[in-house]
Amino acid sequence: MKENEIQHITSFREHFSTYVSLVILTIMTVAVSVFGADLLSLTVLTAMAIATTKAVVVGYYFMHLKYDPMIYRLLVGIVMLLFVVFMILTIFDYVFR
Amino acid sequence: MSDTSNNYVNFFQAKKGIKSWIFTLDHKRIALLYLYAVMSFFLVGVLLGLLMRLELIAPGETIMKATMYNQTFTLHGVIMIFLFIIPSVPAIFGNFFLPIMIGTDDVAFPRLNLLSWWLYIAGATLALLTLVVGEGPADTGWTFYAPYSVQTGTNVTMAVMAAFILGFSSILTGLNFIVTIHRLRTPKMKWFNMPLFTWALYATSWIQLLATPVIGITLLMIVAERVFGVGLFDPAIGGDPILYQHLFWIYSHPAVYIMILPAMGIISEIIPTAAHRTIFGYKAIAISSLAIAFVGYFVWGHHMFTSGMSGPARIIFSILTFLVAIPSAIKVFNWTATLYKGSIEINTPLLYTLAFIFQFSVGGLTGLVVGALAADVHIHDTYFVVGHFHYVMFGGTGFAMFGALHYWFPKIWGKMYNTLVAKVGFTILFIGFNVLYFPMFVLGLLGMPRRYYDYLPEFTLWNQVSTVGSWILATGLIIVIINLINAYRKGAKAPVNPWGGVTLEWQVKSPPPLHNFDRMPIVSEDGPYDFSEEYKQKIKQA
Repeated sequence: MKENEIQHITSFREHFSTYVSLVILTIMTVAVSVFGADLLSLTVLTAMAIATTKAVVVGYYFMHLKYDPMIYRLLVGIVMLLFVVFMILTIFDYVFR
Repeated sequence: MSDTSNNYVNFFQAKKGIKSWIFTLDHKRIALLYLYAVMSFFLVGVLLGLLMRLELIAPGETIMKATMYNQTFTLHGVIMIFLFIIPSVPAIFGNFFLPIMIGTDDVAFPRLNLLSWWLYIAGATLALLTLVVGEGPADTGWTFYAPYSVQTGTNVTMAVMAAFILGFSSILTGLNFIVTIHRLRTPKMKWFNMPLFTWALYATSWIQLLATPVIGITLLMIVAERVFGVGLFDPAIGGDPILYQHLFWIYSHPAVYIMILPAMGIISEIIPTAAHRTIFGYKAIAISSLAIAFVGYFVWGHHMFTSGMSGPARIIFSILTFLVAIPSAIKVFNWTATLYKGSIEINTPLLYTLAFIFQFSVGGLTGLVVGALAADVHIHDTYFVVGHFHYVMFGGTGFAMFGALHYWFPKIWGKMYNTLVAKVGFTILFIGFNVLYFPMFVLGLLGMPRRYYDYLPEFTLWNQVSTVGSWILATGLIIVIINLINAYRKGAKAPVNPWGGVTLEWQVKSPPPLHNFDRMPIVSEDGPYDFSEEYKQKIKQA
């Protein structure tokens, strides 16, 4: 059996901690946008940073990337990099227009 | 297709009846379902193209009014892009040969594969329904540019939903191929033992998987704006039309590589077989496929140089565009280097391949002209651009597809076509293609804009040459297609390996057995293009 085919059992504690951290991050997002945490131009950046953290947590713990070989983590990393570049190139247009 | 002399059951014979086809889970049958559907839509697209050329044979109204012309070129574009070029090579030849080339019996998810075909049919039906309901087909061009696409009364919502569904079909095919390549390669086939067609499909699949959702969401945003009045792209209600163009081209430029990369994979298969020698620069070609797919994500802005995008963004996109030329040129140099001092057999597939290299080079180099910011400002939205992308898409992918059809025909059906007629058909097609599209470069440089049913009298001569070219091209197409249909009906039995190929599909019988391999395929440790006598002996002995 290959390394990535070994069965793994994740503890309740780990699942629950992941869930709690996602809830906290969601509350932070809502606080920034709805309850008027007035961060001006940092609002978008803060929301994006929180969303990225949530995506990493979901991928790493819930989607079991932590158990997968390096190649799959690399592939997910490339996908996230692509998205970041999409955003930066598009923003380049908006900022300098 | 009824060869039972070798005492085996091929995939045609395994089951009979219409149900055994439309609900099949066999990758080879699904590939043929795609082939018949895709070729039917291709012929519809060709017919629309011929009508457009007929309209343009003289200035003023000839056979249709302006609105109908707008609808015709939109439908031509939607059919050719979404129903023909995008699914053509991956869904037909990828489905048929990917599992065989990597030594397995099917794709990773056969049911998902069938679902992809059904989604394709559903999307295609919806696209054709726009013809007969409401105000008729969309008149926006295949790009559905906002704000016009939000305001026009034609069937944009239905056309957009068709493209949305077709996008899902493409995503599922890409997902299936990625998993198949990662998980189902025969044990001795390492990454750098894979044929280059497989590498090309792998790179393409990543684009299908990652870029297509962007267009899906964007098209839904158009529907949201049309139906619910959400201000996304229409400036009149607070939207930004350039945002639409960004989102559209974030998918649609990488989509160009969905169209061309698998075609390049075909060329990489035909050339070493025709030259009877290993391919020059195997790793460079394999990695250049990934490089094209990767860099291709960052160049979408070159479609928007005249749209009002900011200056710095235009300069950055122009520079990035030139980077794509590097891996493309690597492939062209390696293909020609493979032919150098090879024992070349000028067969029909090779003729299509040589035409591909010539026409793709013309299309690619004129792509650099439109990618150069200063030049593009002058020739943007002229016939130069129409000439450029038809040289890449039809002269490249279209010719590669016909090359693949002639290359793998004996393997798929176990029969051989008339090679003389095939060569005559090719020659007429090649001449017709160049007479049809080359004048467009001249017209573009003279300043004739695209997407108008009318033009100034000084453009008449080159338009007439182009229209005559369309008739020559149609004649060539008819000869090619009739020749293949004749071969299908009453062609002579083809040998298992008529071209002397060494990739795994040439180790299986023709047509292939239901489960592809009766025994473990023999993989050469010296790469997939091992033409050594030692390897050939090994295969014979097995």
